Amino acid sequence: MGRAGKLERKPRFAVAVTVVFFAWLYLPILAVALFSFNDKKSLSAFSGFSLRWYDEFFHNSALIDSLVASLKIASVATLGSLVLGTMLALGLERVRSRRSRVIGAVTLLPLVTPEIVTGVAALLLFTGISLKLSMTTVILAEITFSIAYVTVIVRGRLSGISLEVEEAACDLGCTPFQALRLVILPTLVPALIGAGLLVFALVFDDFVLAFFTTGVDPQPLPVRVYASIRFGVSPAINAIGTLMLVASALLIVAALTLPRLFSRGTSSVDLITGGDRR
Amino acid sequence: MNASTDQTPSVSLRGLTKVYGGATVVDGLDLDIASGEFFSLLGPSGCGKTTTLRMIAGFSDPTSGSVLVGGEDVTSTPPHKRDVNTVFQSYALFEHLDVHRNVGFGLRRRGIDKATIDRRVSDMLELVELGDRGKDRPNQLSGGQRQRVALARALINQPKVLLLDEPLAALDLKLRHAMQAELKAIQREVGITFLFVTHDQDEALTMSDRVAIMNEGVIEQCGAPEDVYERPTSIFAAGFIGTSNLMHGSWTQGCVSVLPALEIPAPSHRGSAEGDAVSIAVRPEKIWLSELTPAMHRVPGTIVSTVYHGATTQYVVSIAPDLTLTVLEQNLPQMRTDNRWNAGDRVEVGWLPEHTVVLT
Repeated sequence: MGRAGKLERKPRFAVAVTVVFFAWLYLPILAVALFSFNDKKSLSAFSGFSLRWYDEFFHNSALIDSLVASLKIASVATLGSLVLGTMLALGLERVRSRRSRVIGAVTLLPLVTPEIVTGVAALLLFTGISLKLSMTTVILAEITFSIAYVTVIVRGRLSGISLEVEEAACDLGCTPFQALRLVILPTLVPALIGAGLLVFALVFDDFVLAFFTTGVDPQPLPVRVYASIRFGVSPAINAIGTLMLVASALLIVAALTLPRLFSRGTSSVDLITGGDRR
Repeated sequence: MNASTDQTPSVSLRGLTKVYGGATVVDGLDLDIASGEFFSLLGPSGCGKTTTLRMIAGFSDPTSGSVLVGGEDVTSTPPHKRDVNTVFQSYALFEHLDVHRNVGFGLRRRGIDKATIDRRVSDMLELVELGDRGKDRPNQLSGGQRQRVALARALINQPKVLLLDEPLAALDLKLRHAMQAELKAIQREVGITFLFVTHDQDEALTMSDRVAIMNEGVIEQCGAPEDVYERPTSIFAAGFIGTSNLMHGSWTQGCVSVLPALEIPAPSHRGSAEGDAVSIAVRPEKIWLSELTPAMHRVPGTIVSTVYHGATTQYVVSIAPDLTLTVLEQNLPQMRTDNRWNAGDRVEVGWLPEHTVVLT
């Protein structure tokens, strides 16, 4: 009993460090959210509750244009990277050879490459082939960057599907393409939803790649926000920040929970961390 | 065996060969499997039995030779056009479909109308005793139930031959024995040819009409379970199914001379000449330690060890410095439960001449 009591005593130092860590992490964000409801322009004194900065944001057509642009970029990039990433994953998983292992490793490089390198490289490529910077170039860069995430998640799920499942489909009368369409892709749906939501959230508020590859108008929202801060900080930025925070959080929560509804037991967390693979 | 109305074999293999990167996995297999037969391919892992099955299903292309299903050459026919279905070792159920849709999958692919599919799926689920689980997803089922779904999903298509790739390997022992009996009963009921691949000799012996023992890509012996067990023709077959007392010697006047002082009478073998090397085998349960009859061939020896197995007791008897025989004795009711023989006892062992099997 005595021993157990000792073990159960909470280490105060660890508790203190944890509290400081979370305060450090979330207090600035909470401040942003709080001051987005301030009725004065001050960013240091909260004088009263109001929605004027949200009102200002929704009546600022340039910001709204940027929001729409970011939503478009994120949607197209998500679809594009889902298609390409899934194709890559299928190819890598079904053609097992040493070459596919090397290609598989290379696929993961974008995950660890500093984004600024990817951004500069994309910019050099686009100017090199004289492609005019625009929303299209942002989308191209974001797709390139996102394929790796899709491939990792889809491969995780694919490796859990025995090759015999595909053979069973053929055995029961499917052509190889029908086996893919009727059996493999439906089995991948949870992974595809998870990957899609994750990529959408990542691309929607991505700044670095967007900054290097965007054209003049309309700029993606994060780039527009950064640009407007240089001309003085408006609490409207806090309102945008709060909205993006809420939207991103909802997306991430959806990415983690939706796949669970589709197939009990496997969420994209498991797919990313590799846990709980049946 | 189901009365075969059809004289054409369900499956015929003609010189079927598969070479993987220089290694011959399946070597010139010739085999005919009759319609309605329960046929087992039995062999250790790596003997080529699964590769043979995959070539019949169409998942693997033969290097040479041909596969005939129902008399029709399907060697270059893709899997989805072959009148063959497979029960996979991992079951390979479609996790995104419920049990009913899993079982009806093959019929839907053939464009059969929904009412017929529903009726046939219900019948099939009744047959495998899963009538009330149609709405469940595969991951809600136990291993034995998943195995039945896999069986139902393949059987419902009424293929010319059903291929089973070690389907019971993942089940625990009790369930495996229950499923063996059930598989055999289902096979009798539907009358479809079963080609069963296994490394488990009990499974092969208890279920099959015929067993082919496969080793290193060739069929060592093929016949009814009693034939391959009682009359093995090769050293491999004698050792792989059950245990055998192997003795090596040479022909001497109608006997096999194992040791200078030990000559065992054996049925003479075609083409065997005086002095030729020969191996013989005797099953442990055919050798007696007591109640020897005059008709038996008798050999004196010394008990080396005894192992009590419950229903049987196993004795190892030393005949000569480098020759021991294993003897399996039933623990019959009139015998006392304590061992009647102990290590060191001088004994005489004997067996009937017809239980001496000459191997090639």
